[in-house]
Amino acid sequence: MLLEVTEDVTSSASGGPQTMFALLGATTLVLVAGVPWMLPAAAGGTNLKSPQNVEVYIVDDTFILRWDGSSPSVRNVTFSADYQTLENDTWLKLPGCQSIANTKCNFSSLKLNIYEEIKLRIRAEKGNNTSPWHYVDSFTLFGKAQIGPPKVHLEAEDKAIIINITPPGTKGRGMWSLDSSSFTYSLEIWKNSSSGDRRTETVYPRDKIYKLSPETTYCLKVKARLLPRKIGVFSPVYCIKTTVENKLPPPENIQVDAENRIYVLKWDYAYENVTFQAQWLHAYLKKIPGDNSDKWKQIPNCENVRTTQCVFPKNTFRKGIYLIRVRASDGNTTSVWSNEEKFDTQFQITLLPPVIAMKSTNDVSLRVYISATEEPENRAMNHPYPLTYEIVFWENTSNAERKIVDKRTDFTFPKLKPLTAYCVKARALIQDEKWNKSSVFSDTVCEKTKPGNTSKTWLIAGVCAALLSIPVVVYVMKLLCRCIGYVFFPSSKPPSAIDEYFSEQPLRNLLLFTSEEQTERCFIIENTNTIIAIEETHQTDGEHKKYNSQTSQDSGNYSNEDESSESKLSEEFVHQETE
Amino acid sequence: MTSRCILQTALLVYFSTTVLAVNYDLLRFQLSSSSVECQELLLQLNGTTKDCLKDRMNFKFPEEIEKSQQFQKEDFILVTLEMFQKTSDIFRRNLSSTGWNEIIVKNLLETLHWQKEHLEEILEKIMEEENFTWDDRTLLHLKKYYLRIVRYLKAKEYSICAWTIVQAEMLRSFFFLDKLTDYLPN
Repeated sequence: MLLEVTEDVTSSASGGPQTMFALLGATTLVLVAGVPWMLPAAAGGTNLKSPQNVEVYIVDDTFILRWDGSSPSVRNVTFSADYQTLENDTWLKLPGCQSIANTKCNFSSLKLNIYEEIKLRIRAEKGNNTSPWHYVDSFTLFGKAQIGPPKVHLEAEDKAIIINITPPGTKGRGMWSLDSSSFTYSLEIWKNSSSGDRRTETVYPRDKIYKLSPETTYCLKVKARLLPRKIGVFSPVYCIKTTVENKLPPPENIQVDAENRIYVLKWDYAYENVTFQAQWLHAYLKKIPGDNSDKWKQIPNCENVRTTQCVFPKNTFRKGIYLIRVRASDGNTTSVWSNEEKFDTQFQITLLPPVIAMKSTNDVSLRVYISATEEPENRAMNHPYPLTYEIVFWENTSNAERKIVDKRTDFTFPKLKPLTAYCVKARALIQDEKWNKSSVFSDTVCEKTKPGNTSKTWLIAGVCAALLSIPVVVYVMKLLCRCIGYVFFPSSKPPSAIDEYFSEQPLRNLLLFTSEEQTERCFIIENTNTIIAIEETHQTDGEHKKYNSQTSQDSGNYSNEDESSESKLSEEFVHQETE
Repeated sequence: MTSRCILQTALLVYFSTTVLAVNYDLLRFQLSSSSVECQELLLQLNGTTKDCLKDRMNFKFPEEIEKSQQFQKEDFILVTLEMFQKTSDIFRRNLSSTGWNEIIVKNLLETLHWQKEHLEEILEKIMEEENFTWDDRTLLHLKKYYLRIVRYLKAKEYSICAWTIVQAEMLRSFFFLDKLTDYLPN
């Protein structure tokens, strides 16, 4: 048992290096064999690049996907594309773009709403190898679509070419199924002989190009345009030769003028002794591709007319855009139709003048009211046009005018002169860059301003002030009189102060010169014991100041002595009396 | 003398710019009156006694127009132009089953065309003057809407009921157009 084990161990121990070598050899073999097998897978990851510069190219109903392939050295590479709509999250195979060997594919068979947003992805494939997907940003088929060349059919006249344009795309379906009548066409025409002088015109799908020379070859090409942004490619060049000149030329220079309730259609014609015929057509019919020749209608009063004008009532045409054509006939031959003149009834309206009224307001200003006339002329289906008014305002006696242009219908002219006459007139205007219409001026309206509120208030204020000031004035007058009286006619009354200080009568008599002489009765006193009743009379008359002449003569001596003795005497007497 | 000259030139420039600018007041007026005319004409088209309820369809008028979001004036003109154009296209299709008065239909087409022409002129003028970018999406939604209507008519083989439904739908679209016109800036 032990020996067996040791034998096993010894054998295993000796076989170790051999097993290792065997293992190493096997691994190397596997690796060598495996490399060519593994490498392509790794190289396929680096070889198969996803397509670059992928572009969606759509012209009318042809949808093309284009891209730059991988390096040309790698062969047998195909490309496949898928698409996805925003609503559906699954990727569907793009028809016509599966396993494509070229670098472009046509997926026009895709039935999808052209206004629907879709996404695309594309990758390269070789066998089982695929590149990563290259994604194209979401877009709409309509958005990417370009307008292809239209088809043109030509017919020659002597001085005109009739063109008939077929819109690009498939009729009734496809990319432009809803837009076929929205196309506008632009044409370039030139004489085949000369290289210069190319004329560009906008034309209807069925139209005429005028002002050409007879018996000349002209070449032209047409492109379609869809607002706002799509401009198509030019059609191939078509050439045609104009015919020999006709005997009867068509009328020229067609014009329509409006007068009150009629339209006057005028044209020019070089020859006489011809009759004319005028027709009209709804302009919208020209925008529809196809033949309109049977849709032209006769204009009333304009058939077989001999003059180069005819007149028809305004109500023949409802508001809209029309085309008018005229031709001449001399009995035997008829001319070709003239130029088709576009006639928009809106531009022919006659604006009637507005009605104005003016009132003077209390604060020496004038208010002007404008009202649109009630006539149906100024209306489109009973809606009055948005009018601007030009108002001319002036003082009746002067020529200085004030002009205002405004949309308002109610104006006030403030701060005017009171009791002055002002006049106003107005006219209606429509201002648009293509269309400038103005009516005649309305009648002039004049009005006088009121005397003014301010002068009235001044008057009332003045009256009140006067009333209030009367007592004041009286008082002032009184003072004045007193003053004057005091100065010029002084009073002879003594001031009251004197009365206080000089209460004694005799003293007062001395100071105040009385009118009458004061007399004293003198008595001869024979007996010192008897006292005789003394009568004293003295009159004091304050008002009169008379000076005794006698006393004045002897004033110097007499008065001095006697005065003192008199006074003494009087004093004595008084004392005696009082005792 | 020079100062007078300068003043006159300045006035001329001022007035010419006001004259050359698109008169949006006039445009608004034209759009409103055209819309009213079209609606009146649509209403004049005789109804039918047939019961068309089963043919009703939601055409899914584009929300952004229905909700009258304020558009740039260029987008506005594009949208209104598309509406007038497509309405006109629809009414030029097979109307034989309707028995509608031809003159009314012609008047309708005339009014639609008249307004469309004026809008086109304004659009061309704007595109000449300014380089503006517009949002394609609204226009695409509108085109999808009209495609739905045309497909519906084709599927129903232009029957009288189909036309009655479409007539009502067109009236509805004018209502939205009116609301949109109100948002047109001055």
